[in-house]
Amino acid sequence: MAAENTMVIAGAGIAGVHAAESLRAEGYQGRVVLMDRDRQMPYDRPPLSKEWLTDDTDEASMLLRDPEIYGKLDIELKLGVEVNDIDPVRKTITAKDGSSYDWEKLLLATGSKLRTLSIAGDDLQGIFYLRRMADAVAMKQHMQHVNEVVIIGAGFIGAELASSLRKLGIDVTIVERSSYPMEAVVGRDISASLLNLHDRHGVNVILNDSVVQFNGESTVEEAITAEGRRLPCQAVMIGVGATPNTVVSHPQLEAEGGYAVNEFGETSIPDIYAAGDCTLWPYRGTPIRVEHWDHAVNHARTVAQNMLQPRSTPYTYTPYFWSDQHGSRFQYFGHAKQWSKTVLRGSLESHAFTNFYLDDQNRVQAAFIANQPKNALPVRRMIKQQKVIDPEALADETIALKKVPQKSVMNNT
Amino acid sequence: MPQSEGIDPVLNDAYMYVCSSSELEEDDLFECEIGTETIVVGRGEANVYAVQGICSHAHAELVDGELDGTCLTCPLHFACFDIRDGSVLEGPAEAPLQVYKAIEADGSVWVSKERG
Ligand SMILES: Cc1cc2nc3c(=O)[nH]c(=O)nc-3n(C[C@H](O)[C@H](O)[C@H](O)COP(=O)(O)OP(=O)(O)OC[C@H]3O[C@@H](n4cnc5c(N)ncnc54)[C@H](O)[C@@H]3O)c2cc1C
Ligand code: FES
Repeated sequence: MAAENTMVIAGAGIAGVHAAESLRAEGYQGRVVLMDRDRQMPYDRPPLSKEWLTDDTDEASMLLRDPEIYGKLDIELKLGVEVNDIDPVRKTITAKDGSSYDWEKLLLATGSKLRTLSIAGDDLQGIFYLRRMADAVAMKQHMQHVNEVVIIGAGFIGAELASSLRKLGIDVTIVERSSYPMEAVVGRDISASLLNLHDRHGVNVILNDSVVQFNGESTVEEAITAEGRRLPCQAVMIGVGATPNTVVSHPQLEAEGGYAVNEFGETSIPDIYAAGDCTLWPYRGTPIRVEHWDHAVNHARTVAQNMLQPRSTPYTYTPYFWSDQHGSRFQYFGHAKQWSKTVLRGSLESHAFTNFYLDDQNRVQAAFIANQPKNALPVRRMIKQQKVIDPEALADETIALKKVPQKSVMNNT
Repeated sequence: MPQSEGIDPVLNDAYMYVCSSSELEEDDLFECEIGTETIVVGRGEANVYAVQGICSHAHAELVDGELDGTCLTCPLHFACFDIRDGSVLEGPAEAPLQVYKAIEADGSVWVSKERG
């Protein structure tokens, strides 16, 4: 039955760990139970496609926190526990092994799950998806005996993997279904510039094609594409996107396209909250899903505050992600499904620019920054403030970003 | 200048010249190297301070961040540090920044070659 003074968190990923810590930071004295189906101590994910592959790093350096922290903060970490069932009346959550946990409030922080492909021959060895530490360990081990790799999907994970493998001197071919990868997020010009970067770093990118078959004895030896290309390879990495992981379900829990939460992180069931990749949350009134690290951290912190002080703190962070590819650093702020115009500040050729996505009133909705980290904080402010900006001044690098004229929108115009 | 404590950096090779005082206005940041160490020098609330120039969280140059008063924000995941003593004011960073002594003398900014 409902346990007074117990907060249970399902998922000890980025959001789960930060939520548990925030409960303590906010002075919560009750029990904090943090559970995960993984058996490893909670680890960080972004380095798995980056430093983990290229550097001589061990699993310990991937940990999100020093293992002693959980004891110090009196966070009961339950590893190897896969939960799937909730009873909102009795206020319990049940795991596959039959164990059951009572809660006063529950936080769902189950992250995303990878989209998978069903391709003939995909049971061969050497074919990888990357989400968990275990995937990354197996991948790194296999890479020691590999000269050629095929990557399916030129999204951020695929691109980062390509960059890491090139650094190791491995031949990389990316097979991508579209003609402009990530065009919907960054626009055609930026997509082309990302392709150009791959080209400069010796990645062979095949567009408008898809892998339909793998051949090999026991380990993959070649990938065959729809257009009839035969790509020799000793490993394949698949990065074709993710969907919200809403395995913990209940008929009253709205979970279409992610656990639906309001600005306080409340789901459709009282006392059940959700945070991070698994949620569909309101950004300026529109429900969106964000699968990024910074959002998971800040969302979890804010939702934890609301678990303690109901409806005290609306979540208003500007979505953000970064990506490291071929020695370049990309940062993206905001959210824009469509835009009226884009303004380029800097040069695409030199891969040092900031591309702004403006609405019809010339307010910055989003921005993609390539190798101009100095612009990050001013850009974040611009998106937060939603002032009308002069596009010409914005494009002019002789005018400091902070000095670009901005004015508030008049409501009566 | 209160921080110079009477040291004449020109005569004291424990210090390295960073920039002229006028180049470092309030909230400005300036990066320099001492040996293999990257250091960021900033002027917060009129005084000059110096801390390690690479964030203690992941890899980002703090000179690309912002100094607001004495709070130094990282441009990658936005950790905040107190530039006076390197302490973490806001995560995700956990480790404090190494601090270097910075002084102003004769219209120039100097930083000590040794930590602390
Ligand atoms: C390889 C890789 C690279 C990335 N690089 C970047 C990057 O450069 N920049 C960026 O902004 N973002 C990046 N991301 C995305 C970022 O890591 C995620 O947005 C972030 O991890 C989301 O946090 P979360 O807590 O919501 O989910 P997760 O961190 O995925 O945590 C969810 C946890 O829930 C557990 N779980 C799931 N179901 C159950 C269950 N039924 N019972 C118990 N436990 C369960 C899982 O085991 C997992 O530990 C990357 C992700 C990956 C995989
Ligand atoms: S690198 Fe500075 S906060 Fe992460």
